[in-house]
Amino acid sequence: MSDTIVEEHPPLPKGVVLAAGNTEQTWLEKLYLPEIFKGLGNTFKHLVNPNKFTIDYDGTDLKNPKKAHIPRDGYRGEHYLKKDDAGHVKCVACFMCAAACPAECIHIEAMPTPADWKDRERAPKRFEIDLLRCIYCGMCEEACPVDAIALSSTYNVVSDTREAKVYDREHLMKCGEELGLALSHHHYRADGVPGAVPHKTGHH
Amino acid sequence: MYTLAVDVTYTPAEYLWKLLPLLMAFGGVLGVVPLLVYLERKICAFIQDRVGPNRVALLGPDGLLPVLIGVGGKAPRLLAGLIQPLADAVKLFTKEDFMPVGADKFLFTVAPFFAMLPPLLAWLVIPIGAPATLPGMDHPMPLVAANLDVGVLWVLAVASLSAYGVALGGWASNNKFGLLGGVRATAQMISYEVALLIVIASLIMHYSEPGYNGLSLVDMVRQQAYVPGTEMARNAPWGWGIFHQPLAFVLFVICAFAENNRLPFDMPECEAELVGGYHTEYSSMKFGMFFQGEYIAMLSMGALTATFFLGGWHYPGFGWVSHWNANVAALLSLVAFGLKVLGFVVFEIWVRWTLPRLRYDQLMGMGWKILIPVALLNLVLTAVLSV
Repeated sequence: MSDTIVEEHPPLPKGVVLAAGNTEQTWLEKLYLPEIFKGLGNTFKHLVNPNKFTIDYDGTDLKNPKKAHIPRDGYRGEHYLKKDDAGHVKCVACFMCAAACPAECIHIEAMPTPADWKDRERAPKRFEIDLLRCIYCGMCEEACPVDAIALSSTYNVVSDTREAKVYDREHLMKCGEELGLALSHHHYRADGVPGAVPHKTGHH
Repeated sequence: MYTLAVDVTYTPAEYLWKLLPLLMAFGGVLGVVPLLVYLERKICAFIQDRVGPNRVALLGPDGLLPVLIGVGGKAPRLLAGLIQPLADAVKLFTKEDFMPVGADKFLFTVAPFFAMLPPLLAWLVIPIGAPATLPGMDHPMPLVAANLDVGVLWVLAVASLSAYGVALGGWASNNKFGLLGGVRATAQMISYEVALLIVIASLIMHYSEPGYNGLSLVDMVRQQAYVPGTEMARNAPWGWGIFHQPLAFVLFVICAFAENNRLPFDMPECEAELVGGYHTEYSSMKFGMFFQGEYIAMLSMGALTATFFLGGWHYPGFGWVSHWNANVAALLSLVAFGLKVLGFVVFEIWVRWTLPRLRYDQLMGMGWKILIPVALLNLVLTAVLSV
């Protein structure tokens, strides 16, 4: 048995030279000046390059990639509450999301459903998320047994006051409406939970 | 023997006109500094494929006037980004002027002056334009604030003063990072000043032709702009120092970077290791003065490079224009000189965003083991060739 450990590197792609392996400098390289000018040429190319990474963000058109950042699928932004087909809030006030929340930012008060809601007995009287405490982990979405709460891709979440960042039930439902995501078959779960329809994959 | 300027009698008008180059040099330098900060940020951004400051405008949504007096908020952005230096200045003036516990109050306050004033004083002896015959004068006056016979010595004297700024700033702020930065700055500036001095010595030898004072910056430019021995203005740039002392030019530029504490030689600041180096503890306008001092030093070094090597205020075609109208030629020479200085500064910014920082021992090794021997070689070569 040998104690020496021989590390085997996978073969490098063609044309790739390890920087550490290239220890032999020609005398021209040792002069540094030609290499410095090579580097200056490189930065000059970027200096005059009209294609910048920066987006001219104006926050008005969140669908236009030239004016706004478009997050990848599954991005966890602002929350919203979904509605059922009757237009009621889908939530059944089971407190699963509040229990799962590691930041303890979800506050729910339950109430018995009105007589004409035939499908369930409980609904939230109060449903508040303190977005200043929220860490956007998405655990509430994972925990929800009826797929009522979800995280949208809305990332431009600013306000003038702290109070405005505590979203109540109506606001959370409005968030979904504004996104056009309020209907129950829209969601961002692809984990095969019953009732979940895998949403279509992204196009970018 | 060179005649001193004291025996020249001036008319009152001439005394007044003497103020003109002074005001132009100081006003120009201090006015350009905020623009350089903007330029640095812009060039940096472009090199990194970003767009840089483009929000703070005169009019428009983030405009200065809408914020101050409430008009023009709906207008399209005007001078977007160019108002940034103004916003920076307001910020610097209104920030808390903080002094750390245990700081040496006197030195802490004095250090920023040492950083800002010496590079500015170098402009006193730098000729910024071709001689012009101004109203009320009967002979052309060189556009220089003080036509010193020993201009080069003056420049070197005030340049080494600026090492005090960083050293004192680092020492007085009672902070280990500040002190380390100050010590590094002192060591670096002194080391590179040796090579710089030897380079300048060979320049003095080169420019000390019969009838010319090699120590006077005005005479240096005279030799580059006029055919030596005659008062015939040159058209071609073949008199420029860079064509006679190419090696000295390369050495001088390298040393100039080190003297300015700019990358790849920005040891004294060295954000990654020393927070901010000598100005770690500085805030408000005291920091602003260090900051300004750095840019003024860049401009001064640019002016010296232009004067020593790039023909000073001389420009191709100067002969023809000055034959036609000397004052127009002088006006153009101001522009030419400004462009040369600005070109050097832009080059310095460009290099900053290209090269990484040298290690401290590599820096000192390069200064003492490479630059000084090569500078000495250049000195010997100059001595032999100009016999």
